[in-house]
Amino acid sequence: MDKVIKVQGVTKTYNPDTIPVHALRGVNLEIEPGEFTALVGPSGSGKTTLLNAIGGLDTPTGGSITIRGQDIAKLSDSAMIEFRKQYIGFVFQAYNLIPVLTAKENVEFVMLLQGKSQEERATRVKELLKAVGLEDQIDRRPAQLSGGQQQRVAVARALASKPMFILADEPTANLDSKSTANLLDIMAKLNKEENITFLFSTHDQRVIDRARRIVTLEDGQIISDETIAS
Amino acid sequence: MIFKIAWRNIWRSKIRSFTVMASVLVGVWALIFVLSFTAGFINSYISSAIENEISHIQVHHPKFMDEKEVQYTLKNTTSIVDNISKNAMVKAFSTRIINSGMLATARGSRGIQIRGINPQEEANLTRLNEKLTEGVYLDATKSRNALLVSRRLADKMKLKLKSKPVLSLQKEDGTSISAAFKVVGIYELGNALFEETNVFVRQSDLSRLMEGEHNTHEVALLLNNMEDLDTVKNGLAATFPETLVQNYKEISPNVNLYESQMGGSTYVIIFIVMLALIFGIINTMLMAVLERTKELGMLMAIGMKRGQVFSMIVVETVFLAMISAPIGLLLGFLTVSYYSSNGFDLSAYGKGMEKFGFSDQVYLSLDVSSFITVTVAVAITAVLASLYPAFKATRLKPVDAMSTV
Ligand SMILES: Nc1ncnc2c1ncn2[C@@H]1O[C@H](COP(=O)(O)OP(=O)(O)OP(=O)(O)O)[C@@H](O)[C@H]1O
Ligand SMILES: [Mg+2]
Repeated sequence: MDKVIKVQGVTKTYNPDTIPVHALRGVNLEIEPGEFTALVGPSGSGKTTLLNAIGGLDTPTGGSITIRGQDIAKLSDSAMIEFRKQYIGFVFQAYNLIPVLTAKENVEFVMLLQGKSQEERATRVKELLKAVGLEDQIDRRPAQLSGGQQQRVAVARALASKPMFILADEPTANLDSKSTANLLDIMAKLNKEENITFLFSTHDQRVIDRARRIVTLEDGQIISDETIAS
Repeated sequence: MIFKIAWRNIWRSKIRSFTVMASVLVGVWALIFVLSFTAGFINSYISSAIENEISHIQVHHPKFMDEKEVQYTLKNTTSIVDNISKNAMVKAFSTRIINSGMLATARGSRGIQIRGINPQEEANLTRLNEKLTEGVYLDATKSRNALLVSRRLADKMKLKLKSKPVLSLQKEDGTSISAAFKVVGIYELGNALFEETNVFVRQSDLSRLMEGEHNTHEVALLLNNMEDLDTVKNGLAATFPETLVQNYKEISPNVNLYESQMGGSTYVIIFIVMLALIFGIINTMLMAVLERTKELGMLMAIGMKRGQVFSMIVVETVFLAMISAPIGLLLGFLTVSYYSSNGFDLSAYGKGMEKFGFSDQVYLSLDVSSFITVTVAVAITAVLASLYPAFKATRLKPVDAMSTV
């Protein structure tokens, strides 16, 4: 049981009754602990659909997704929320942070939902925001941060719950190249030093270059899967 | 943290929040005003009825109230008066002979109640002496068979000071007797019904004419303190079991009706205002929820349970009400305070009201209980109104957060 994520024959068809769109056509994928994997492919190839399915945000039409031995299709709606809270961290492309909370509070929020103690939250929030290089901006709200800074807060928040892995759907899509490099540095560092598993989708060649495994989707199917020797 | 988020969310869309707050504020203010106005209106009716006509308690022969026959007198007026005058809870009292008779002038005649009073007692009890618009009170004239009529009756019957209409009255033996009375004063109370059917004469003149044992039909008394109403009433009833002792509500069905209806109509008004508020709030909060679809989806994606999302929206709505309701209460309080001492002038709208014993100046009545009622009503309104938008919020899918702008 050393697989973090196990995707078996997953299919997804949108609008099955009207104009069916086959977004995923039998995807098999296994992710092991500590991987730093990029999901690439042309627009409409099914990257977002696959990440949503793995994150339990959407249910696949067929196949199964097993996370640390648990078939997530068997979880009820509220059990899935609980499961996500415990094991999965998310970084979205946009609408990542709670706009009315400061950087610090955004990171703390997840731990609060988990019922962590005040001291534990305080230490960890500091630690995490330092890790993403934002120790000076902890009291700013998202609107007062740049896009890159916001994504770094999002990474810190995704990590706050100590998840097994982090799913990131085009985390750098709205960032300039400097911020992109910066975010990637942080992700790579967390991956290396703390062995945090990342699975992210991207269009960006600079991001792809940093990945240690590249899974390519096309038309809802995996057409290549290469591991970069380090 | 949910409270913190909810609190800050309120200030995100200021215009929308202010719309909700303003409507809650106006609703609260309006409710306070209407409740206090109704209470003031009814209270003024009741207190003027008590003051001018009924007093707090009346004692009669058990059959008198039904039949008003002249023979149903109180057989022991003296001991009743003796008892009452020793009672410290009683402020004033008056004994009356009441005779259903006729008043005739050259213009015609009409049925009236002739009230034979002891001028000093009546002045103490109803301050009738202060309610004269013309002429003098019964104790300020030496003329025999002096008569007080109301302005309305005087106009109807073309009576003036010094006019001499003829009053016919019943004697206890069933025969009747007529005598000329002289109008010495004209009174005005503000209740047309009473005024058109009641004239006042001296008790001594009446009993002389009636030739019987001049026992009275009615003893009316006013208390120092309304709270002693039952004590005094029950005390009298126990001491004089052969009489009928009634409080003002039993005597005047109108007063009783208004007092009890006040509750009912109040709730109808509260209900209507609440309903209007509920729809306003639902509408705005629904907008607030739909606008935040992606954000709410994200919250659920990162582990916020549906129940927590639900309570967040409810708390937001309740916060809005909690901010504005106290302001509305305060404004309501100020408005009511002002009109409770200065009176709200209805004369422009309510010329006819006086006919029924309502005065055209309403002194709003400030009542703690209506403030509590309104607060509770608004709290319920806010919670009710938040339920649907909150429910809608929980129906959003976290997957929506993933999709790009
Ligand atoms: N909610 C939906 N309803 C219907 N069709 C959808 C929906 N979401 C995605 N699709 C379709 O499913 C296919 C896969 O979409 P998906 O968003 O997974 O692609 P993607 O690889 O993430 O593309 P991009 O790089 O543009 O983000 C596309 O053809 C898309 O049009
Ligand atoms: Mg996508």
